Amino acid sequence: MNKSIETQVLVIGGGVTGTGIARDLSLRGLECTLIDKSDLNAGASGGNHGLLHSGARYVYSDPKAAIECKNELEILKKNAGHCIEDTGGLFIAVKGDDETYIADFPGYCKKSGVYCKKIDLALAKEMEPGLSNDVIAAYQVNDASVNPFKLSIENMNDAVLRGGQYLSFSEVIGFRLKDNSIEYATVMNKNNGETFHIKARTYVNASGAWAGTVAAMAGITIKMVLSKGTLLVTSKRMTKRVINRLRKPSDGDILVPGGVVSILGTTSVRVESPDNIYPTINEVDQIISQGEKMVPEIKTCRYIRAYSGARPLVSAGNDEDDRAVSRGFTLKDHTDDKVDNFITITGGKLSTYRLMAEKTSDMVAWKHSIFSKCLTKEIPLPSSKSGEWSEPGVQINEPFKSKTVSDPILCECEMVPQKAIDTIINSIKQAGGKPDLKSIALRSRIGKGPCQGAFCSLRIFSHMYDNNVIHDYSDINDLKLFLNERWKGEQSLLWDQALVQSSLKEMIHSGLFGLELIKK
Amino acid sequence: MKIQKNTDCDVLVIGAGLTGMIAAARASCLGLNTIQTGNSSALFFASGLLDLLGVYPMDSGKIIKDPYSGIKKLQSDQPEHPYSKISQKQIRDSIQFLTNFLNSAGLNYHLSGPGNKQILTSVGTFKPTYAVPETFSNGCDLQRQEKNLLIVDFKGLRGFSAKQAASGLQKRKGKTYTLSIDLPGNKNGLNPVHLAKSFESKEFIQELSDKILHFSSKTQIVGLPALCGIHNSFDIVKTLEKKIGMAVFEIPGMPPSIPGLRLKNAFEKKLSNLNATFLSNAKVAFQSMKGDHFILQAVNDNLKTRIKARCVILASGRFPGGGLFAKRNMVLETVFNLSVFQPDTRSQWHQLDFFDSKGHGINQSGLETDDTFRPLDKKGKPVFENLYAAGSILAHNDWARLKSGAGVSCVSAYTAVNSFYKKIKIMSN
Repeated sequence: MNKSIETQVLVIGGGVTGTGIARDLSLRGLECTLIDKSDLNAGASGGNHGLLHSGARYVYSDPKAAIECKNELEILKKNAGHCIEDTGGLFIAVKGDDETYIADFPGYCKKSGVYCKKIDLALAKEMEPGLSNDVIAAYQVNDASVNPFKLSIENMNDAVLRGGQYLSFSEVIGFRLKDNSIEYATVMNKNNGETFHIKARTYVNASGAWAGTVAAMAGITIKMVLSKGTLLVTSKRMTKRVINRLRKPSDGDILVPGGVVSILGTTSVRVESPDNIYPTINEVDQIISQGEKMVPEIKTCRYIRAYSGARPLVSAGNDEDDRAVSRGFTLKDHTDDKVDNFITITGGKLSTYRLMAEKTSDMVAWKHSIFSKCLTKEIPLPSSKSGEWSEPGVQINEPFKSKTVSDPILCECEMVPQKAIDTIINSIKQAGGKPDLKSIALRSRIGKGPCQGAFCSLRIFSHMYDNNVIHDYSDINDLKLFLNERWKGEQSLLWDQALVQSSLKEMIHSGLFGLELIKK
Repeated sequence: MKIQKNTDCDVLVIGAGLTGMIAAARASCLGLNTIQTGNSSALFFASGLLDLLGVYPMDSGKIIKDPYSGIKKLQSDQPEHPYSKISQKQIRDSIQFLTNFLNSAGLNYHLSGPGNKQILTSVGTFKPTYAVPETFSNGCDLQRQEKNLLIVDFKGLRGFSAKQAASGLQKRKGKTYTLSIDLPGNKNGLNPVHLAKSFESKEFIQELSDKILHFSSKTQIVGLPALCGIHNSFDIVKTLEKKIGMAVFEIPGMPPSIPGLRLKNAFEKKLSNLNATFLSNAKVAFQSMKGDHFILQAVNDNLKTRIKARCVILASGRFPGGGLFAKRNMVLETVFNLSVFQPDTRSQWHQLDFFDSKGHGINQSGLETDDTFRPLDKKGKPVFENLYAAGSILAHNDWARLKSGAGVSCVSAYTAVNSFYKKIKIMSN
């Protein structure tokens, strides 16, 4: 007999939407369990720029999405300020860009009520000295940047505090259907291969790019279009504000600052599966050659990492250009498909995650016959301890110093001290997870600086042995998995100093430690 | 304004890693007037272990017992590999030269037996290597020993955990214990160099012995992180052994490497006795040829030196050393702009798996040379009569995967210097 868990709502998928739903439901007094086959933000929620759109990007093609973005940005700035950097943004066009498109911009913005203000070119250059001399038009907008990891961690933490539960590395492998509803979900613990049942009154499929796969287990077809986007992280912050290219959406047209780095993106390539996607050399070169037209230093600056995410889009039919598919979200009550207690939420975007969670939770509440009001518009997202080390590029400053008294720094690139690692390990354990380097990296900045894990991995790993978090020789495979996870993001941009660092990494981990020789 | 200086030499060695040191050592020992440039902290990344060939064939991931029979096979399989340009005798002679040179500087290497030794590393893996500093010798081939073992770490020494190192010994017959020593003042992390220095104090050794003696009835052998002293590490280990009545050995770990620092000190001491000149942290640029002589300029913080050299040994390393530089789509050699063997496009530089058993294409890149290690132009002719390249800058040489770094450094540096020396000796006779 399988172990069984009972809960009111099972949320499948630990991205921003899933964790947002978990918090929203918890605030309404519903007990929920959230599971993810990997860990928080393993899909598109962790593979984006961290941009909160002002809405201006969508004024041409999708005014509804533009208005949603605008409204959500105001709510998030007010309620989740600690996850957000209010950078502001610019839309700029350069020589050769479509003049009609440029001329139409203010009119469309006005129509959607999205703020935009024309900026004198000299002023634009003063505001952002890194801009190209070829800029021919500039508009100021209200973009902001967000740390999506922190957002998910904080949403989940708040849900857990309110009685929710989070199970990482737990994958749905089937649904038991009975009388037009799901009786239970069969879930596999991917750490030990054991299976168990989760019995809920309502099942919410918030698995993003995997929504089609999960729905299929309940016998429901959702046609997903997966569009892979690749992004590059620079080693320093290139601009103060978000820089958007004022043209029809295309490759390499956005530069988002966050903390001490900037993120340059993106590409759009149709993929069959959201699993095992990685940045290719061609994508990297394409993004750089387009990005340098906005900010010339893009051509010569150092890159730390590249990564890819699969945007989950719901196909409406025959879509030629994935960028033209609506970026609005899809919320489906599967009563129509003869599964009464099953809901799918997918599509959409980071900027509107809260609204997606609100609409989904409304539907869940309705199904539970609870008359409730969404509270995430009013109650601020609390800031917790385990979220604070995910902040990009925490700088040495006064509050930081006090954290490090009698506390060695284990990650020197990103200045993460031992006590922060211990806090994170404890929070993973409390959530029933198995702490390893990958799950620690998800919750902190470790491995994300110039050394890409070459040194911090060893310091943290030995600390984990010391504290009996791990014991066995076979645990050394965690080190390999972590280094390979970093590698996925490095391999497409190894030249200049980045190649020097990766060579050192190979000297240590292969030359001295011979990790490549370890047989699984 | 920088001071200008002119200087002449027989041999200019560019690079201060292991290869550059060996080249400078060989040239000075042959009585050649030698100038060396380079970054003197390069050896902080050297493990101090002398590898010849530990894995072959590379994609088999197979650890080989006898490096010389492995090299023989490699020589017949891969004619382009640096080892295939020389004889086994040259390798033996070069290693002999190196270890004699280091022994005379007080750094003893353990060479017993013909085969590779397996050395426990700080992460619990075993590294195949040919020769180890004497302070490592008791730790050779631990898996086969049945002695009870104690591994010691120091609280606050980041990246070294006795429990982690011991995890690699779980299948061993003898018992393994661990001990973590708490030193005063370790709260914000111990600096490895400072800790290594404290081994040089008698009080410290006494304190350490007292803490270890608690285990003396249970264990026969003690492993410590490789930082038992910077100077006289051999004597320090012997003293500790006497006090605790147990054999002691060192365990290599992540950089900064103290055994590498010992190498640096040993080389520098002997080279200065031999009157070799070291221009530290100088950036070297090739300017022109004047007759048979190279004219180069070395620039560091306050000095601009114009060097006239009869021979140049390019031991500038690969990417970390700065001998090769990778632009986004091309690999360049940095001093002479020599032609560099490299994969056709960047998409062939790296595998998608960091640990792919085939190794990364970029690590095959480097300089192709003739049998005396003179870099070749595109037509296959030596670029200059007296320009040699040695060490990791050589093409077709994935030393990290083959565990062959020190061997290639040693034999190429030694052979290059010898062949220049032979040439000028014939001329002067």
